[in-house]
Amino acid sequence: MIASVWEAIWQSFLAGSFWYPLAFVCFALGTLIPAALVALSRNILHSALWLLPCLASVAGLYLLLGAELLAAIQILVYCGGIVVLILFAVMLTHGVGDPDMRVHNQQLVWGLVAAIGLAGILLHLLGQEAWQMGPWAPSGDVTARLADALLRPYVLAFEVASVILLAAMIGAIVIARGEPEG
Amino acid sequence: MAEVGYALFLIPGLPLLAFLLISGIALRPDRERIAPAFLIPALGGSLWLSVRALVAVARHGDQTAWWPWVYVGSISLDFGALVDELSAVMLVVVSGVSLLIQIYSIGYMKGEIGYGRYFAYMSLFSGSMLGLVISDNLLQTYVFWELVGICSYLLIGFWYRRPAAAAAAKKAFVVTRFGDLGFMAALLVLSSQRWWHFQFGQLERLVAQGILAEGVVAALALLIFCAAVGKSAQFPLHIWLPDAMEGPTPVSALIHAATMVAAGVYLVARVYFLFAAAPAILFVMALIGALTLFLAATMGVAENDIKRVLAYSTISQLGYMMLALGVGGYTAGVFHLTTHAFFKALLFLTAGSVIHAVHTNNMWQMGGLGRRMPITAVTCLIGALALAGIVPLSGFWSKDEILSAAWFSEVPGHEVFCGLALLTVFITAFYMFRLWFVTFMGEARSAEVHGARESPWVMAGPLVIFAALAAVAGGLKRIVPGTGHGFGELVRFGEPHEAISYLVIGLSTAAAAAGIVVAWAAYRARLVSPAAFNARFPAVYALLKNAWYFDRAWELFATQVVIAGSAVAAWFDRHVVNGMVDGVAWLSGWFSRRLQATETGQVQFYAMIFVAALVAGLVAVFGRETSLLDLLRLGP
Amino acid sequence: MMSIAPIPIQPYLVVSVLLFAIGVLAVLTRRNAIAVLMGVELMLNAANINFVAFWRYGGGEQMEGQVFAVIVITVAAAEAAVALAIVLNVYRRFKTVNVDQINLMKG
Repeated sequence: MIASVWEAIWQSFLAGSFWYPLAFVCFALGTLIPAALVALSRNILHSALWLLPCLASVAGLYLLLGAELLAAIQILVYCGGIVVLILFAVMLTHGVGDPDMRVHNQQLVWGLVAAIGLAGILLHLLGQEAWQMGPWAPSGDVTARLADALLRPYVLAFEVASVILLAAMIGAIVIARGEPEG
Repeated sequence: MAEVGYALFLIPGLPLLAFLLISGIALRPDRERIAPAFLIPALGGSLWLSVRALVAVARHGDQTAWWPWVYVGSISLDFGALVDELSAVMLVVVSGVSLLIQIYSIGYMKGEIGYGRYFAYMSLFSGSMLGLVISDNLLQTYVFWELVGICSYLLIGFWYRRPAAAAAAKKAFVVTRFGDLGFMAALLVLSSQRWWHFQFGQLERLVAQGILAEGVVAALALLIFCAAVGKSAQFPLHIWLPDAMEGPTPVSALIHAATMVAAGVYLVARVYFLFAAAPAILFVMALIGALTLFLAATMGVAENDIKRVLAYSTISQLGYMMLALGVGGYTAGVFHLTTHAFFKALLFLTAGSVIHAVHTNNMWQMGGLGRRMPITAVTCLIGALALAGIVPLSGFWSKDEILSAAWFSEVPGHEVFCGLALLTVFITAFYMFRLWFVTFMGEARSAEVHGARESPWVMAGPLVIFAALAAVAGGLKRIVPGTGHGFGELVRFGEPHEAISYLVIGLSTAAAAAGIVVAWAAYRARLVSPAAFNARFPAVYALLKNAWYFDRAWELFATQVVIAGSAVAAWFDRHVVNGMVDGVAWLSGWFSRRLQATETGQVQFYAMIFVAALVAGLVAVFGRETSLLDLLRLGP
Repeated sequence: MMSIAPIPIQPYLVVSVLLFAIGVLAVLTRRNAIAVLMGVELMLNAANINFVAFWRYGGGEQMEGQVFAVIVITVAAAEAAVALAIVLNVYRRFKTVNVDQINLMKG
């Protein structure tokens, strides 16, 4: 694997288009390293904060793949919404919690084994196939085509997703409200 | 013959029908008197049908009839009737004797409470006994075997308010149960050989063709002999018969002299082919028969209750029959069964006649009854002579056949058996005439005697008929009326053969005569004093008076051995059987506790299981020939 | 005008797998309930990267890949909201967000 990737990078470098692979490497590392820190960080607040660069880098990957609207949605919803929500939750629960709560539970070792095992088998499966390189069509009017897809063939999914959001909003309010005081 | 066919079922069916009718109609005190009106005609019908069956058998061979009963898988059982020469003769004897005794009962039981109940039980018994005789397969025989056992229990304990009677009934049932276990075990052994038909004809073929292993045949023979030992009161299961005299005298006459106790002998004769193939068991049979006939006779010598004397006499004569069958005298044994039925029933009925008149069983409270009850005395004398075996009465012919069979037999020890039987002829004559002289001769010993009158004709009539039968039944050897053959040609196992030893005949006649003379000397002419004899041999007297202490021995066995065995069984049940059940429960609990460890209540634990399962599944499905290096390779 | 892709698809897929594995690690081993939720978000993003990569390298004509990714983001947002509401409720009840101590279903 390393050989073929390096080969591709080298080729593109030779061919002059090496920005793309460079950008890819930056975004990839920008995803994986903050993700690792999310999983391993001692401080819950730090974990929440490290989510931000991770998700932003994922948006970068989307850009490299030509999914511009999706990248925008990612930034808005994930970085702007979900991370904020998580930070709120951390603030609301962390203050009175156990200050020296240990970060990892007793499953750490087995969890590492499971995660590594999972990664291993999946990577092995990836290696079985001879993936093709192209075709790499220009993105063109991706946004228009995405909008069309969402509003014509997949309009049902779109509408149902809205209903889910509505239900979640109502549900979250009800659940988070708890028992009325007094 | 079709016309005899289903009519065969009527032979036991009529008395059973009478039982139902009496039970339904004639049990109320104001209607009891009509009860015998159901039974007597029923028995008359049975007798007539039996005679016709006998004639038919002699002319046309075995008569059979059957009715389908159970067909399950490979098991097919029918209600069946088989009348061959043996069962035909038995049917005539049983129905004839029953009929006469029931007529006698009308007079004997008159005025008794439970008159209707008596005839109900008697009809049930008659039907069951006839059913037993006519059955064509072992399982059906067992059903009727148990039925007659129940009737015996009910009739011995007829006066159930008397503790002695209730105890005697229980004793009879329990002791014969030991024997019945043998019968059931025999049925189970047959079933284990996967033979479901139990029919006598098929069994005979099985044995003849050697399909059953030798050990199996011997086991079957032994088990069936056990059943006979119980029912026919052979040593060591004889203890119930003397106590069974607590029942009414006609019951003693019918069940415990002529018919039910003979059922054991009949059963052995029925499956004689089993015994013929197992000579060892024949020896055991002869041995037990010989022991029984001797021991019982000695016990009869010391009894003062006339019914108990006759009871021991019955045990002794049954021993003669078993001995006969054991030494190979098939015809002799069955012939003696027939003649014994006549003269023993006669003796019991005369005893009943006496008891009815004098209201006591104790012979020492009688005396001088010969003058006051002449018919009874004379018929009793005829019966006594027949029992002793004096020519030309029936007992002589049958007993001598037995002695001759024992003399000529090839069974090991047959000379000893023959000698023992001859000695017992002397003892038999002695105790019988002791009874007769003390009861009928001499001076009256109590007040009741003075008021004794002869019995009414309803009772005396059967006495006379029985006396006639006891006298002339010897002629059956020559010719059985209606069949054109002698007894020995009709009822036999294998070829008819006749072996007479004049030496043995002479010795037995001499022994019988000697017994009569000694009894006369001791009890009539007062030449010898029994009291002095008892004083000189106190140990012998005690031994005989206590019936060789058999009752005590059985009692010890029951309390010590049986209860000890029960304790072991109880321990086993508590610890092993209960232990297994508790063990299963404990095992469930153990597993449950172990499994509880997986229910941690922690979501991440469950999630771990998911992931682990997923990885394992993926590896199992896709992970062939993988090395770590392959994991790093992303191309084929 | 078709051209050849600058890099093959495998790198994207590798990133996806590794991100997913990191997410699994967080879900299985963190004590704080909110951290577990963060792990779930990581896994969802890994799946999304997979979808979009295949969309682009499958020709880019069929939009299903992106549509699916949009829906996933939507549902993830809804789920995060509800889940965090539940966590708040649990916190109020048990006074802790330590998953080890929330084991009423034990046994």
